[in-house]
Amino acid sequence: MKPGVWHRLDVIARGLLPAFSVFVLLLINLLPVSLPLLSTASPSLALMAVFYWSVNRPDLLTALTAFFLGLLQDLLMGLPLGVSSLVLLLVQTGSASQGRFFHNKSFSVMWWGFALVAIPALLVQWLLSSALIGALLPIKATLISYVLTSLLFPLVAWGLARAQNSLLRYI
Amino acid sequence: MAQHGGPQQRIFSPLRTALHRFAFILLIFSAFGLMLLGKADTVLIERIRAASADLVSPVMNIVSRPASSINEITDKAYNLAHLYEENERLRRENLQLLAWQQAARNLSHENARLRELAHYTTPPSLHLVTSRVIADMGGAYAHSLMISAGSRDGVIKGQAVIADEGLVGRIAEAGYQASRVLLITDINSRVPVIVENSRDRAFVSGDNTTRPLLTFLTADATVAPGDRILTSGHGGAFPPGIPVGVVSSVSENAVRIAPLFRRHQLEYLRVANYGLHGILSEQRIRQSQAPSNTDATNLAPDIPAGVGVVPKESEIDAHKPMFKPPAPEGDRP
Repeated sequence: MKPGVWHRLDVIARGLLPAFSVFVLLLINLLPVSLPLLSTASPSLALMAVFYWSVNRPDLLTALTAFFLGLLQDLLMGLPLGVSSLVLLLVQTGSASQGRFFHNKSFSVMWWGFALVAIPALLVQWLLSSALIGALLPIKATLISYVLTSLLFPLVAWGLARAQNSLLRYI
Repeated sequence: MAQHGGPQQRIFSPLRTALHRFAFILLIFSAFGLMLLGKADTVLIERIRAASADLVSPVMNIVSRPASSINEITDKAYNLAHLYEENERLRRENLQLLAWQQAARNLSHENARLRELAHYTTPPSLHLVTSRVIADMGGAYAHSLMISAGSRDGVIKGQAVIADEGLVGRIAEAGYQASRVLLITDINSRVPVIVENSRDRAFVSGDNTTRPLLTFLTADATVAPGDRILTSGHGGAFPPGIPVGVVSSVSENAVRIAPLFRRHQLEYLRVANYGLHGILSEQRIRQSQAPSNTDATNLAPDIPAGVGVVPKESEIDAHKPMFKPPAPEGDRP
């Protein structure tokens, strides 16, 4: 059977799911939440999603996509331009090349892997932001952000896994 | 897409790897290029930031509504549980406020009479734009909010943003229908202020913590915890007299203040248009860089000349056609 136009469109739309999910998580990150803790340091949801997709489907979330998603994050959050682009690009490339290691392992291995990857990622973000702003930013907020990011990873990964299983099984 | 094996794969695979590596290095360089660009051309970056805020604001406008209604429900439950104590507290507060109201009435009459005697010219009238908070860029690196008002509502970069309690921040970028508010706690924020009682001048400088610093205090300034801090109106960026915070701690090397707003409870904000352009006016900075500038001060090229120059009356009037001139109360015989 020759694939028709609709079939191909369907495949393309499904292929955009990883990038779209990162975008949605970026917007969720922007929601005003009435919790005092979250207003000083928020978890980096985009980082989780970029890590998840680079490990599981690096063909659908390429380095270029990660770069532009980082750019979008910088623009929307008022961060120094280019920092998140660099961080997400490095996370994508690093996790995609080590993705094989996580296949057929239990979820806790991936969780540990993410907790390890998030340390240099947030550290680079903190250092570069401080350098570009020209003043040392308080490290405490970054630490809280790191703890929140690594603790909330299973929740986000669960949601992304559901989406992957239902929409990306055959492509 | 699924990977297909075959003779083509064998030939093109090394080529593709090389191409990927080249693209990766190119992207790394473009990230650093972006950092340099962000440092160099702030006007262009501001435009792009404002455009991206406009892009997501319709979505955020809708999505932030359920979030705020959930907050409302939790608020209601809390209020119901504390109804009795709250009522008692308000009763006491009402008694105090009635006394204050009487004092304020007397003072306002006296003030009006004194102003007439002194031929005091009233400051320009305040034009307020109320808007909803649609996004909170809560993070370790930037303290800013997004509000659902932009240039179509008369919001311009540099205007003061106030909550019921006091100053929240200023407009960092104004898009067409959404703007970004830089909070006074952000590391890039500097607000000229005075101490309410001693009238000492200072700056409130954010450092990305919840307690911004009070800097550039003179050596003989007297500041104590509990002192109220107000905007001074110097520099023409903010109207004078907006409460900013309360001094929370005084130590040898740092005076910190507690802002009056609670960031996680901000829902509606007002943007104060005072008819002032302030030190942040992009237009004035660009005008002052033109070679035909008569006020040129031959400063170093990175300091825009004319930033500290007071604009001529005609310039101010030319830039605020949409606002009525203040009522001439002070000129009444």
